[in-house]
Amino acid sequence: MKTIYVCSDTITGIFSAVYDAWRQEKSEEECKIAVKGMLEQELFCEYEEVEETQKKAQAVEVLIKKHLGRKAYWDIYHAALSEAPEKGTVILGTMLAAKQLSDSTRIMEHLSHKKVERVFELSRSVGGEAHSYKGFLRFRELVNGVLYSEIAPKNQILTCLAPHFADRLPLENWMIYDRTHGAFVVHEAEKKWVLVLDEGFDRSMSQNVSFKEPEYARLWKSFCRTIAIESRKNSACQLQHLPLRYRKDMLEFGTKEDTGHW
Amino acid sequence: MDMRITEAMTVYDKLNILTDAAKYDVACTSSGTSRKSDGTGMGSCEKSGICHSFSADGRCISLLKILFTNECIYDCKYCINRRSNDVARASFTPDEICTLTMEFYRRNYIEGLFLSSGILKSPDYTMELIYAALYKLRIEHHFQGYIHVKTIPGASPELVHKTGFLADRMSVNLELPTAESLKLLAPHKTRKSILAPMRLVQNRRTENQQELVLYRNAPRFVPAGQSTQMIIGATPETDYQIIQVAESLYQKFELKRVFYSAFVHVNEDKALPARTDEGPPLLREHRLYQADWLLRYYHFQADELLSEENPNFNVLLDPKCNWALKHLEEFPVEINRADYKMLLRVPGLGYKSAVRIVKARRLGVLNFEDLKKMGVVLKRAMYFITCSGRMLYPTKIEEDYITRNLLNVRERFPEEVRNMGYRQLSLFDDVSFGENLKKAVSAH
Repeated sequence: MKTIYVCSDTITGIFSAVYDAWRQEKSEEECKIAVKGMLEQELFCEYEEVEETQKKAQAVEVLIKKHLGRKAYWDIYHAALSEAPEKGTVILGTMLAAKQLSDSTRIMEHLSHKKVERVFELSRSVGGEAHSYKGFLRFRELVNGVLYSEIAPKNQILTCLAPHFADRLPLENWMIYDRTHGAFVVHEAEKKWVLVLDEGFDRSMSQNVSFKEPEYARLWKSFCRTIAIESRKNSACQLQHLPLRYRKDMLEFGTKEDTGHW
Repeated sequence: MDMRITEAMTVYDKLNILTDAAKYDVACTSSGTSRKSDGTGMGSCEKSGICHSFSADGRCISLLKILFTNECIYDCKYCINRRSNDVARASFTPDEICTLTMEFYRRNYIEGLFLSSGILKSPDYTMELIYAALYKLRIEHHFQGYIHVKTIPGASPELVHKTGFLADRMSVNLELPTAESLKLLAPHKTRKSILAPMRLVQNRRTENQQELVLYRNAPRFVPAGQSTQMIIGATPETDYQIIQVAESLYQKFELKRVFYSAFVHVNEDKALPARTDEGPPLLREHRLYQADWLLRYYHFQADELLSEENPNFNVLLDPKCNWALKHLEEFPVEINRADYKMLLRVPGLGYKSAVRIVKARRLGVLNFEDLKKMGVVLKRAMYFITCSGRMLYPTKIEEDYITRNLLNVRERFPEEVRNMGYRQLSLFDDVSFGENLKKAVSAH
């Protein structure tokens, strides 16, 4: 009977599930990995709740890096952050496929393998969304000087954004809140960033912006309006590059004029 | 210049005026440099560049693109900031520029600064102000984000030199494709005064690259290279002349990019083409960018694409298709044998596809199915290629026949060109103003 490993929607969860399946030497046909909250009930299956530990997850990370290489790990890691429910299953499938190769570090070139192809696709889409947010994300300055940002990404990209902003704004206190997944990254000036998963985070303080904030918001909105050339106006092209879903958290597309809150 | 009025203006007013005055500059890219922060300030650079927003005209907003001042001692006829125009004038101070850049950057509005300027008092005076702003930004504020700055023609070499060590990219606007046009529309500028600083930056970059080989931590001079731009459609040059100019800029001045800017009517002047309802010549601009790619990435030469007898791009076919139809003796090309350079010349094959083909055929013989799987789009390519000696469908290698079929394949224009509507696609953009210009030239 097919075993379905059920885990939480985190890197630790998915890698722990991979660990269990790997340990029990399941073949591709004999098992699946399902993520809690995206579970579709199937008949004639055995469901197994995965015991999730850091230790298991690290063991899998080491295994992938050692045998599949760092580049493949990058793809697998990004795929694991995806919103796609089948991500655990295709990651496991890719690792099992790599086992069959004489040179397992070339696994990501085997795009004719359905699961490898899917991992590649997921990784590209997560990487793409993370790249977009590096540009489209906006901070606002709160009364206490903290730079605060809110986003609603499809995938769990906070850990992709954090190193970028930590490098860029090393002397600032900042935080990014991910509404979709109820998680945030916090960076204290000159320290390492941390990821916090917490549903009960009180966001009321995020409306309390510094006194300079409305003025910079006004300057920026005005800049974005003025920089466009009237005779080349083209909202279809604008829409293609900057889909609507990003805009609700972007100051320059907000409707509330000059308040600094959006 | 009335300093009191400038002083009384708010930063908000200045930003409006000096953004509006800078918007016709084409480049807003933040690419070409990769730099980690050193932990002492703010900012980093990504090789690929990052777009932070898109304006209503569909152009990427990456940099805070502003003029230092729109005061100008020159009277270039196409330019909104010409001396004789009655427009609101403003100037930033170096401190205002620093504050705007830093505060915009920390809110992640921008990837850096694009600073251009009108000529205040003299080229040296203006370049000095630009240098002062960059110095403050880099040294006092420890800003490590992207900076693109204009080289002011006529500024002293020492100033250009000092500025280049603070900037990532520098550019001098070529303004117009030929010296004659420059004389007609930008009477205070000469070809020589524009090319001299371009050469200076080029030579200093070469030296700097040698220094960097010896001392890895030597200061870097204009690491993202130089670019330039020229206005298309304000003067009677042919496409052939324009791409020849671009080619020699790439070859002789090692430019990273040449930008083409479809002429936008902002002034009334006898020397300018008459105003029409058709808007800027966007299709022509698009064809020039396509040809520019062929020069930079596809090993084409200007002389192969156009000639004295046939000096303008075809409105209906892209430059590569156009070339292929005139060189049918080179086709069809065998996918499994043709060298990389020849693959690049096949209409519909991009350089990424060409690389994939070369890699994949080492592992086995390729057929049309394989090409599709690799993402090769065959609707144009199929008239020009064989796989193991066979074409996809029986095809006559004959100009008329292929042309007719290619015209049935709808070309995917960028949105901005598509939105101009069909009427414009069927017209040569440069017909109407050519006449006007001849009159203007003879009147001179």
